[in-house]
Amino acid sequence: MATNIEIEPGAALESALVTTDSYENFEQMSSSLEEIKNSNFIPSTTTDEFLDNCNNLDNDIHLNCSITSTNSKDEEYLQDEEWLSKPKHVFVLSSAGKPIYSRFGNEDRFASYFGIMQALVSFVQADDDSIRSIHAGDTKFVFLFKEPLILVAVSKTGECTLQLTAQLNYVFNQIASTLTLSRLVKIYEQRRNYDLRRLLTGVDRFIDHLLDFSENEPAFTLGAVQCLPLSSSIRDTISAAIIQSCSKIKNVVFGILLAKNQLITLVRMKKYYIHPHDLHLIFNLVQASESFKTVESCWAPICLPRFDSSGFLYGHVSYLAEDCQACLILLTVEGDAFSSLSEAKQRVVERLRRGSCLEAINESLSSREETCMEVGFPEVRHYLYKSKSTAQFYQPHISAPYSSNHKRLMNIYKRAHYKLHCPTRPLKLLFERTPQDAILAWDTRGFELYAVLEPLIETSSAISTVGRLLNWIKKREDKLFHLNAPTF
Amino acid sequence: MATRKKVLLKVIILGDSGVGKTSLMNQYVNKKFSNQYKATIGADFLTKEVIVDDRIVTLQIWDTAGQERFQSLGVAFYRGADCCVLVFDVTAPNTFKSLDSWRDEFLIQASPREPADFPFVLLGNKVDLEPRAISTKRAQQWCQSKNNIPYFETSAKEALNVEQAFQSIARNALTQQSQSVDLYNEFPDQIKLTNTTNRNSNGDSCAC
Repeated sequence: MATNIEIEPGAALESALVTTDSYENFEQMSSSLEEIKNSNFIPSTTTDEFLDNCNNLDNDIHLNCSITSTNSKDEEYLQDEEWLSKPKHVFVLSSAGKPIYSRFGNEDRFASYFGIMQALVSFVQADDDSIRSIHAGDTKFVFLFKEPLILVAVSKTGECTLQLTAQLNYVFNQIASTLTLSRLVKIYEQRRNYDLRRLLTGVDRFIDHLLDFSENEPAFTLGAVQCLPLSSSIRDTISAAIIQSCSKIKNVVFGILLAKNQLITLVRMKKYYIHPHDLHLIFNLVQASESFKTVESCWAPICLPRFDSSGFLYGHVSYLAEDCQACLILLTVEGDAFSSLSEAKQRVVERLRRGSCLEAINESLSSREETCMEVGFPEVRHYLYKSKSTAQFYQPHISAPYSSNHKRLMNIYKRAHYKLHCPTRPLKLLFERTPQDAILAWDTRGFELYAVLEPLIETSSAISTVGRLLNWIKKREDKLFHLNAPTF
Repeated sequence: MATRKKVLLKVIILGDSGVGKTSLMNQYVNKKFSNQYKATIGADFLTKEVIVDDRIVTLQIWDTAGQERFQSLGVAFYRGADCCVLVFDVTAPNTFKSLDSWRDEFLIQASPREPADFPFVLLGNKVDLEPRAISTKRAQQWCQSKNNIPYFETSAKEALNVEQAFQSIARNALTQQSQSVDLYNEFPDQIKLTNTTNRNSNGDSCAC
């Protein structure tokens, strides 16, 4: 199977998105600000060391201290079956051990647990080391210490340490997105005992949503975004409408149109790119905010940590029209551009109406994607195709036997993704069969493909099917991917 | 998560081993006392909700081991505390003499922004026991020399003054917290676009 760029579906020479291999460089944030030269992060060890560390942890840590928590209130939680049975807990605390966030329950009620987490982190840190994870039976305790916060996941989901760490990174970025990283760092420089919850009122909802999102959406695992299928001429018309409407407004950095967690178009300022992780935060913001739907437009400071963690962009967020539920986000560096962007938005809508784009968007939104069966691949149950050069992916409609069990499908993908990206021994090609399903995962220079197949399929026919599938995607790439990278 | 009104205070209890730190905690939080001595290993954590001036305050109490061999937990442990409670045994003069070093150690490790104003509270425990070795006056003098630290004589066994002492601890810590500067509006965060490209870590973006 030759990997020739000519046939790689969805490939493009220029991408609007920073392309990424999900785990790689996750901890690095980019910056377009002159001032950002400081090192606010603990130096990240390479992923190789990381895994080694994880594997050795059981042997490495001999805590010669015992830490107990004795309190009637905490015991309430310890005896709360429902709280205990959650497959995954996520906690955020300050490096002083003060609670900031808990996914479940009122964090004030088990403030002592946060003390224990801080003690574990600081005890290991005292030896100039850092604790990454603790493995106890089928439970993983994963730690991420990113000054000035400590993030902890306690998981029985079977996700690997890297995937859990990636989720914690997202949570960190969500907090940074609300406050900016520089402000976050500065607050704790000034007051180590600060109770950050004062500044994060309401943000817990976004973190909750982000965690659900990152568990269930393949976009997070792949580090990519999915596009709303549209003919390329319609997509170009939409991009042109945004560019023309904003042409006289300076310093608009990004114009993003999205619907139902899918990207319609992304227009960017020359030289600037958006990272998929930042785009996921924007998707999350739109998804988790019902209020955007009820107001005409919203003006909000948004920090995109991978773009520039030191400052805010200002976002004009609005749904296009009553009769078209696509959300337009115009991001600028100017804090006082609200009214000019509101006018620009009106112009965008007028242009889209004239070009019949709203209908096209609605049509695509209301028709579901085809299943593999429907397009002539009965042996393929579902697949994910990621084009690396554009950081975009495509998936067909989810059909039986996963329509009622997305989790199982996601777990198959997560496991396969891990095997292809495992830092110590990454696989290029994986074929795995269980009594329930078979998966073929393939990592090439240009794309990643994860195809879940009927368990009885033969290896040779799996490979030929995948070849046909790639051709099928290639034929539709104009529609399934956003291949141009329009700029203002 | 939080509403504005909720407050959480980190309180650290320090003092020589055997002065009754854990017993005070237990009396305060669980209303229990045991004569049996069990050394704290490492640290204990307790949570208690109190009401101070109509505000609900959650005390996150960090009860540390007095024995020296556990001091390795120290460094990161002390940081970000809102109040430090020093405990000594009124019948044991050595535990009183150690107070200076406990206080100094705390200030070095926690390095609060304004060490002179950092809220400490001193508890002279075991006042139910005889013979008394450190008089009230002597303890008060020490407190005065340290910028008027509040002093309470307590008995964890008889639940004497324990509630009052912690009320004062909560109040002191709270005063310190409420003197918060306006952290939020202190600095601008406007992004300045530069001409440098921000594209990073991007080996295979070019499909050639």
